[in-house]
Amino acid sequence: MTQSKIEKLSSLIDGESQDEQLIDEISTDAELSKKWQSYHLTRDLMRKDAPELLNFDISAQVAKAIADEPSIVAPKPSRLESLPVIGNVIPLIKQSGQFAIAASVAAAVIIGVQQYNQPLPDEPYVVTNSTNHLGSLGVASGVSLEQTRPIQNQRSDAQEQRRRINALLRDHQNQMRLKSQPQQAEQLEEEKDVKGTNEKPTAEQK
Amino acid sequence: MKSQLRNKSNRLTIVKTFLWLMLCFSFTASANSFNNPQAWLQKLSQAVSERNFNVSFVVLSQNADVEPYLWRHAVIDGVEVEHLNMLNGPGREVVRIGDRVSYFEPYTPPYTMRSSEINGPIPYQLMRDYENLSSSYNFVLVGRTRISGRAAQQIRIVSHDKSRYAYNLWLDQESGLMLKLDTIDLNGQVVEQLQVTSMQLTEVPDDYFSRIELSRLPKVVELGTTADTRLGWQINWLPAGMRVVKQNVRQLAPNERPIEYMMLSDGMVDISVYLQQLPNELNQRTALKHQSNTLFTMQRDSLAVTVIGKLPAKTADAIASSIGITPR
Repeated sequence: MTQSKIEKLSSLIDGESQDEQLIDEISTDAELSKKWQSYHLTRDLMRKDAPELLNFDISAQVAKAIADEPSIVAPKPSRLESLPVIGNVIPLIKQSGQFAIAASVAAAVIIGVQQYNQPLPDEPYVVTNSTNHLGSLGVASGVSLEQTRPIQNQRSDAQEQRRRINALLRDHQNQMRLKSQPQQAEQLEEEKDVKGTNEKPTAEQK
Repeated sequence: MKSQLRNKSNRLTIVKTFLWLMLCFSFTASANSFNNPQAWLQKLSQAVSERNFNVSFVVLSQNADVEPYLWRHAVIDGVEVEHLNMLNGPGREVVRIGDRVSYFEPYTPPYTMRSSEINGPIPYQLMRDYENLSSSYNFVLVGRTRISGRAAQQIRIVSHDKSRYAYNLWLDQESGLMLKLDTIDLNGQVVEQLQVTSMQLTEVPDDYFSRIELSRLPKVVELGTTADTRLGWQINWLPAGMRVVKQNVRQLAPNERPIEYMMLSDGMVDISVYLQQLPNELNQRTALKHQSNTLFTMQRDSLAVTVIGKLPAKTADAIASSIGITPR
C-alpha cells in the first residue's frame, strides 16, 4: 500500500474527494478496507462520538494467540523401574489417598486403645504401622482376655516406632538448618569422602 | 477546515508509526533478555536479594493445615535483613540479619545460627543458587498467566531423571519475585503449594526492621566442628545431580544407640539417610508422609535404613535399597 493511496483514502474519508476507483479498491483490497475501518473508528474517537461499547472484532486475534501459544507438554510419568537398581522393588504402597485411608483404618484401632490410656504427642503424620495380623486382630475378633497381652506388646512397639520417627523428623529439620554452617575442617574431609563414594568428584563445595 | 483535517490524518500516520516502533522495540527487548528461563531466575535471585518487600503467602500440603506466613525483606546499609513469621498458632518467627539467623519457636529457647538462609517453606536454594541446580534439573519456560492479580511468567522445573518432584514456578512479570510454587509428584498430583496472597515492593525498608534490637537477639550458637566420619556403608545409586553433603555418627538422645547419618542434596531438596540398629527388626518397607516429606524405612541386614526428605517414595526406596554395607 503506497503512501499516496493512504492519503487518498484519508481525503476520501474526510469528504475531500470522490474517487470511484479507490472505492472499488477498498471493497476488494482487504488491507485497504481494514484501514478504512480503523480510520473511521479513529475519527469517531477523536470527535468523541464513538459508541459506548466498541465492538472490536477480536476473535481472529484470539484464534491466532491460541495457535501461537507453545503447547504445554505434560511430563511423562517417570518409570523409575527402568533404572537398573530398582528392578527388584516390590511395588510400594501407593502415595495416594487410598493408601492413606487404608492405613488409617488399620491404625485407628490401635490408636484408639492408646489414647484411652495416655496422651500422645500431637504429630499429624499418617501412621502406616499396619501389619496384617494387627488389623485382623483388632477389627475382626475384638478384645478378649487372651488377646490382651499381644495388644500390649504391639502397643509399646507402635509407640516406640512413633517416637523414633518423630526424633528422626526433628533431626532432619535440624540438619537442614545446620547445613550451611561454615565448617572448614569438615569441608575438606567431605571432599575426600565424596570422592571415596560412588559420586563423581565435584569441586562445587560452597 | 480542510487543512485541519489533512493535518489530522498526517498526525495519525505519525502516531501510528511511533506506536509500531514502540511495539517492535518492546518485542526485540523482551526477545533478547527474557526468552530463556535462566534470565528469569536471574531476575528472581536479584529481586529477592536486593529489593525491599513485604510478602504474604500460604503453604498448602497434603494431610496438613494451611500455613500462612508473612515475609519481609530489606537491604539496610548494604546488609540484607529478613523476617519470616508464621501467622497461625503459637507462631514461629525467624529473623535474619546478614549471616545470622535467629529462630524464635515455641517450646525451645530462641537461638541464633550462622547461616545465610532461613530454613523454611521458602526455597532459598532455588531463589539464590539456581545455577547450582542445572546438574539436576531442567528449566522450561512455559507461558504467561495471572497469579495473585499480577502478570506472571511460568517456569517448569523437572529433574533430569524424573526421580524427584517437579515444580511449577510463577514469577512476577514486573519485579521477578516468586508468586507461586507448586510441587508435583510423579503422577502429576500436587504435593505442596506455596501461593503469594499479597505483595508490596517499597522504596524504603519496612518499619519493622528499625524496631529490632540487635543487642537483644539471642547469642550465636557455636557448634564445635564435628569432622565427618567415614562410615561403613555407601549409597550406590543416587538420583542425577545429587551428592553427599555430609556424613557423621551421632546420638539423637542420651542413652540411645548411635545413629549413622548422611545428608544428600541436589540443591533443591535435602535428604537425610539414617542407619540405626533397632532392638527388633522391621518386617516390612514402610513409606510415611509427613506434610510433603516422605519418610521411608526398610531393614538392611541388621540395620534399619530411614530416608527422609521431599522426594517420591520410589526414589527413597531406590536410594535405601542401593546402600552397600561393608562388613566390619
